[in-house]
Amino acid sequence: MNRNSESVISVKNLTQRYGTGRVIYSDLSFEVPKGRILGLLGKNGTGKTTTINILMGYLRPQKGECRIFGENITGLSPATRARIALLIEGHVQYSFMTIGQIERFYSSFYPKWNRDAYYELMAKLHVSPGQKISSMSCGQRSQVALGLILAQNADLLVLDDFSLGLDPGYRRLFIDYLREFAKAEEKTVFMTSHIIQDLERLIDDCIMLDYGKILTQMPVDELLRDFSRYTLPTDAPVEKFTESGLFINPGKIKNELEFYTFKPLDEVRSQLSTLGVDVSGLERREMSLEDAFIGLTGKY
Amino acid sequence: MEKALIFKEWVKTRMVFFISLALAVCVALYAVLMMKRLIELKGVDHLWLIMLLKDNSFIDIIKYVPLVIGLALGVAQMAPEMAQKRLKLTLHLPYPQGKLVGLMLLTGLVELLVIFVIQALIIGIYDASVLPSELVWRVMLTTLPWYFAGFTAYLFVTSICLEGTWARRVILALLGIAVLMIFFLQPALEAYNGMMLIILITTLLLTILSFGSIARFKEGRQD
Repeated sequence: MNRNSESVISVKNLTQRYGTGRVIYSDLSFEVPKGRILGLLGKNGTGKTTTINILMGYLRPQKGECRIFGENITGLSPATRARIALLIEGHVQYSFMTIGQIERFYSSFYPKWNRDAYYELMAKLHVSPGQKISSMSCGQRSQVALGLILAQNADLLVLDDFSLGLDPGYRRLFIDYLREFAKAEEKTVFMTSHIIQDLERLIDDCIMLDYGKILTQMPVDELLRDFSRYTLPTDAPVEKFTESGLFINPGKIKNELEFYTFKPLDEVRSQLSTLGVDVSGLERREMSLEDAFIGLTGKY
Repeated sequence: MEKALIFKEWVKTRMVFFISLALAVCVALYAVLMMKRLIELKGVDHLWLIMLLKDNSFIDIIKYVPLVIGLALGVAQMAPEMAQKRLKLTLHLPYPQGKLVGLMLLTGLVELLVIFVIQALIIGIYDASVLPSELVWRVMLTTLPWYFAGFTAYLFVTSICLEGTWARRVILALLGIAVLMIFFLQPALEAYNGMMLIILITTLLLTILSFGSIARFKEGRQD
């Protein structure tokens, strides 16, 4: 991630708990540079939506400081809010309005409003301007929410689990439109999704959250280049590899050992040798972002 | 922006507004017809006599109507905001949040005012045609606390709907019931005349409740 570029979102030492109980995360710090698409990935309950709620000012952080466009999130000014497009989990919108009403409503608030962007997307849905949003399918509602975000023409897009409830076609449509828009207009995007495979086509950088901490924060192409999955046929018990602490999430199915690491092949070979393991069958496997996510967070 | 915000509130409440208006008008017309019938049967002198000697205003039927309308309008306006936490969208709008909440409440209060004024006018205009001005005022002042009960019910319901925690909702509901009971304790005509200023100030102060609910929502106090 380019640390020298201007940060649109800056989070420093954020600590949050569920009430006074379990720590969601402690001293979380990250930055989202201008013009990048960053995905916040994590299993359920790791604090993805909590982070978005804090950033948008719907949850007071227990410790730490968050800034968006340099402004503290505890008191975002209307001018700064106008620069942020927000997609709430489940594509929630004012469903009591019609397609036409909601466009007219939002257009009053945003000076850079692009009506054509909204209606271009609506044309694909074959819906009339008089159709009420509540009478539309989940997929169609997601496109209304996306259309409104595109029309707002904001500098920062914050999207909370955009893929929730969408079938593959609508997910693909959403991603294609969003990527084209974000790249053409140099927008910054901060997003979460529980379907990792969708994000591989979309995000530049990723933050992988585990319970209480950040596991990794880096550009996706670097992650897929440097983080590797290895397989090795061996009779040695899996505990040998777990206890060594040399590899990430080692697991064994029948005779095949599987593990993950950021280390290069030579180093992996040498470390396995020090454990007294025959490395003749060692193989480095191709990985998708979802594989990398499983590799870092584990299957359970 | 203000026009757009008022439009949003209108879209949510217009159906309840028109149903409430129809109810208020029908009940007012019914009260008028009852008086008219009595005049036709026994003469207007008899009506005056009953009003003066028996403390009967002939409008008891409207007593709880403003309360019901206030409750219904509050739910119609604020329940959609809390469903799926849609309030997040509203608070994200690039508009000062305090003014935004104030405008939402003002829209609801104005809608209530329109309904109540129309109902009061129907009764007032008819009463003025058959009763002396002293009796007309007596009737109007008797209805006034009921209308305030409507505004109060609306303000309590909005704060309950906007509240994020069930414990607070229950506290607000109990407080609301206790306050609203005050408006219906005295059956005598003009019983609340001496308290009207206190009632007005109390009603105005209740708007603070909704701002408190919003502030707690923003702190993340939600079940």
